[in-house]
Amino acid sequence: MAEVRRSAVATERISGLTGFERERRSEFSRAWRRFKRYRPGLAGLAFIGVLVVFALVPSLFAPYDPIAQDTAMRGAPPSWAHPFGFDHVGRDILSRIIWGSRIAMLVGLGATAIAVTIGVTIGATAGFFGGWVDSILSRFVDTLLAFPTLVLLIVLAAIIGPSLLTVIVVIGTTTWASYARVVRADVLSLREREFVLAARASGASQARVIFRHILPNAMGPVIVLATLGIGGIIILESALSFLGLGVQPPTPSWGAMISDGRAFIRHYPQIAIAPGVMITLTVLAFNLFGDGLRDALDPRQRE
Amino acid sequence: MPRFDELLERTPAVGLTRRVLLKRATAGVAGLAAFGLLAACRGAQEQATPETPAAPAAAASPTPTRPPAIVTTPAVVTPTPAPEGKYGGEMIVTGHHEIASLHPDDAGPTVHWVIVTQIHNGMIELDENYQLELVLAESYDVAEDGLTYTFKLRDGVKFHDGEIFDSNDVKYTFEWYMNPDSAAVNAALFRNIDRVEAPDERTVTIHMKQPDAPFLVRAATTFILPEHHHGKVGKEGYASNPIGTGAFKLKEWRAAEFTTVEAFDEHFRGRPYLDLFTEKIVPEASVRAIMLETGEADSAVWPLVAEDNLRFAEDPNYTVFRTSSVAVNHFPLNNEHPILSDKAVRQAMMHAIDRQKVIDDIFRGTAVLATANLSPALEQWYEPNVKQYPYDPERAKQILEEAGWVDTDGDGIREKDGVKLSFTCTTITGDQARRPEAEVVQQYFKAVGIDMQLAEAPTATILEKMRSGEMDASLFNWTYGGGGGDPDASATLRSNAVNNFSHYKNPRMDELLDNGIKEVDPQKRKEIYSEIQKLVAEDVPFLYMMFWDWFNIFTKRIKGLPESALTGSQLYRKAYQWWIEE
Amino acid sequence: MFQYIVRRLLQGLVVIFLVTLATFGLMHLAPGSPVDIMIGEAEVSQEVIDAITKKWGLDRPWYEQYLVWLGNMLRGDFGQSMVRTGVPVSQMLLEAAPVTLKLNLYSFAIAVLIAIPAGVLAAVRRYSLFDYSSMVGATLGVALPNFWIGLMLIIIFAQKLRWLPSGGSGSWQHYILPVAVLATEQMAVLARLTRGATVEVLHQDFVTTARAKGLADVTVIFRHVVRNALLPVITIIGYRLAFILSGTIVVETVFAWPGLGRLFILSIDRLDYQVVQAIVFLLTILVVIGNLLTDLVYAYIDPRIRIQ
Repeated sequence: MAEVRRSAVATERISGLTGFERERRSEFSRAWRRFKRYRPGLAGLAFIGVLVVFALVPSLFAPYDPIAQDTAMRGAPPSWAHPFGFDHVGRDILSRIIWGSRIAMLVGLGATAIAVTIGVTIGATAGFFGGWVDSILSRFVDTLLAFPTLVLLIVLAAIIGPSLLTVIVVIGTTTWASYARVVRADVLSLREREFVLAARASGASQARVIFRHILPNAMGPVIVLATLGIGGIIILESALSFLGLGVQPPTPSWGAMISDGRAFIRHYPQIAIAPGVMITLTVLAFNLFGDGLRDALDPRQRE
Repeated sequence: MPRFDELLERTPAVGLTRRVLLKRATAGVAGLAAFGLLAACRGAQEQATPETPAAPAAAASPTPTRPPAIVTTPAVVTPTPAPEGKYGGEMIVTGHHEIASLHPDDAGPTVHWVIVTQIHNGMIELDENYQLELVLAESYDVAEDGLTYTFKLRDGVKFHDGEIFDSNDVKYTFEWYMNPDSAAVNAALFRNIDRVEAPDERTVTIHMKQPDAPFLVRAATTFILPEHHHGKVGKEGYASNPIGTGAFKLKEWRAAEFTTVEAFDEHFRGRPYLDLFTEKIVPEASVRAIMLETGEADSAVWPLVAEDNLRFAEDPNYTVFRTSSVAVNHFPLNNEHPILSDKAVRQAMMHAIDRQKVIDDIFRGTAVLATANLSPALEQWYEPNVKQYPYDPERAKQILEEAGWVDTDGDGIREKDGVKLSFTCTTITGDQARRPEAEVVQQYFKAVGIDMQLAEAPTATILEKMRSGEMDASLFNWTYGGGGGDPDASATLRSNAVNNFSHYKNPRMDELLDNGIKEVDPQKRKEIYSEIQKLVAEDVPFLYMMFWDWFNIFTKRIKGLPESALTGSQLYRKAYQWWIEE
Repeated sequence: MFQYIVRRLLQGLVVIFLVTLATFGLMHLAPGSPVDIMIGEAEVSQEVIDAITKKWGLDRPWYEQYLVWLGNMLRGDFGQSMVRTGVPVSQMLLEAAPVTLKLNLYSFAIAVLIAIPAGVLAAVRRYSLFDYSSMVGATLGVALPNFWIGLMLIIIFAQKLRWLPSGGSGSWQHYILPVAVLATEQMAVLARLTRGATVEVLHQDFVTTARAKGLADVTVIFRHVVRNALLPVITIIGYRLAFILSGTIVVETVFAWPGLGRLFILSIDRLDYQVVQAIVFLLTILVVIGNLLTDLVYAYIDPRIRIQ
């Protein structure tokens, strides 16, 4: 009895919402329940949460200024006061690692946002309009997908000149093809579905049909893909920084820190070890989170 | 990629080098030098001596000037015949970037030079102690007025393909460099030559348009090209198929991988002991160090990180030559930039940096403080009595305040007439040796209210933009005089020079530089270059930081090495005397 | 079918044209010129710079230079490297390509030999210890930055243990570390893919039917499951053909291998236009061919997919 009443209250509380949103909310809670069952995914989410907090307020956690140097401490090994030791110009590595999460998050989320925007727009256009628009865009997407991103990135970053903004924009504009492909396929099937046909019959504008009815339903796979993609982007960023084409000094970036440490692996290996571990853990966290999300949002995969 | 240390240093001209030993043990006098040649001082070889950081040569008292007589008779040392060695074996050295060309005209970079010098000979050559050595020439003669040089050539010298070397090859070589159609990189070295004559097979006469003090060191040491081959294949064809008179001939050239030369049996000084001499290309400094440790390599042509250099220097299993570069590590500043054109700002910057601390901490003491454009190691020309810039942040602040640079909005950066005291320094992409230095200097500037932003760009971009004046500042090493021991700096300090990266313009400087080239009396020349250094220290066209120490490390199995050396890369010219003994 | 291939190839030509044009334009937009590298620290006058610039045709507008390049290209001439004073680009590619190909071939062979059986086994024995541990390994393998493992392997095997050379090419020992790094990544990707594809096939009707008919598990797996599961795997391999280059850029840098990847990045850095252009050109061809072949193989293996 009590059980029933509670759910009645709950229904009442959300009754102010439109039917569409209500459907989504309950879908969300169902997805969350499914997600919770996948432990590694939860662990990933927790780690990401910590990183986000680090990225938002690094000064609260970093024990020292990440840029301040004490050159006399060049390469000094870990100690209690400086658990990760010092880098080659005498900066505290732990503080740089914590501040580095800000760059990783900025690049990971920023570039993904750009890629998703471009990819969804192009994929939706191709899927919705079909015909020659679709075949041109699809050929373009195929080519871009097959083209090694790192090569494109290197050419662009070398020519535009490396900076944080370049890295974000360049990664964003070269990694959208997979989103376009997924969205196109979804839109292709969605546009023939009853609720879309109904909306069209009732005279809704094309834009409204696309943005209100089709895209929201195609977003599930995009979110999963985006989550799984962030890890790859963080690796790309660090590879670019490693090659000297990424974020500029003295801004602490994990990839650049590994690059710094490369010359000193014989004498001060700690410079390169810590950021490498951080990159691995971060990418791992996003991938596990993405795996969990996929299982939760896309039950077909889970059989 | 991002190669460590490109631009670190390029040999300025064919057959030149500019590394001088700092520490002097015996001041062996060899007052043989003609014209500008450094009166050579025997340096002590640092053989596994416990490391005492280079006695700051800055502190070394100026050498009593020994004006070398202007000699018209050969100013030459005969190469000491190496003791009897063993034949056979392969010596492996490591370089840090690819050997793009084997043409002597491209042999600037040390990595190229090490191979090109095995294959070729000049009429005269500089040895590892900056002394001239007769090689293809038997003797030479300079006219009193400095306008005619006559070289007598050695008999019975063969090129690798069996052809006989004669005066026509010399004439051909000089004329090839002088010909604008050749687009030779080093053409400028030959600009004061009027004509070259070959009156007979064994004689070459060179007529000058005007006296040229650095001529013998810079142009006469040019490697001789074979007319019969080079004339046919041209520069491009020759770059991959060089034929010289050297002790070794080319066996295999894989630019980015390795280059091997093999003993030339008919070499005029006799067959070298080594069968093979190979330079492997290994970009990572740490990997080069490991290769020396494991015995995969016998020597590193290009320096390692300071910590490795010092460790090998202390290890009795290695023979280490520690010499000093004459290329100054400096921040070129665009003197036409609205802020950097202010001399007060440039002087304040010098006071703001604790350069000695940068040397001690970041370079582990393996460099000497610069006091102007010339290295203290160039004792003959170095002028210590110039304006000094000790570390004094208070003085720096005071100079800035007096010049009107005040922080009015409290953001920590000074401004004047609404312009922020802010500029960008662009370092070479992936420059692991100098980027940290720039990061440290950035903090020193911040402390006195100067904002230096950092950026990175490839070498080509930096050179072009610094030359065209589109870049504020950069950081690299470059010679501002001192190449081959000669102090001439026209290529960098003259107002119209292509490599005047700082766009420094001072009519007095131009006048001094021109006089310096024409002046044949070493005493008077010395005065001219002293004034040049004083002018540089007063004007601070660029922030001169330091001169790096150069470490050339050899495993103990390499025998026959010179007793001492003033210059590192020139060492490898002597490979024809070395042998391997396990 | 034939018509389809011709159409695709024509489209490919357009792609190649556009990509090379874009690369050429971009490279020339970049400030600086290879002449600056060529002259180095020599005492040059402006006349010398002009002479060199003219000699290499760099004084003409970039589109004109592109047309010259295109003309030479059509005659099979890749041009000459400026930085390596006139060495034919084709020769440089011929020197560098085998190195890169060998690295990729070995690592790929190892990856396939280990990852595909592991992926299938993990799918068949789902939720077993093997499944969990191999998937944890694979997830980790994807997350490891390859340049970083490269460095760590150098520290451990070359420096501390001194078992293997730290860099360079030559003997078989030189191959071990870079191949291990490349294979780790490929293995991780392939194992995950194979497992996913196999799981999907295992739940399809025909497999259930086959099992119901009483066919032995092993037979089912080999005859039906693996064959079908390989489809997406092959697709990915085909699409990733062009990634041969990008995968090795970083590894070749870390281990100092004189392959295409390092040549590429060095040439970009030195603005050695002709070399960059040639590599991008070949890469684009690979992309086009890889795409086409994949589609064809796909159609061949799975008759349900008809080529439009």
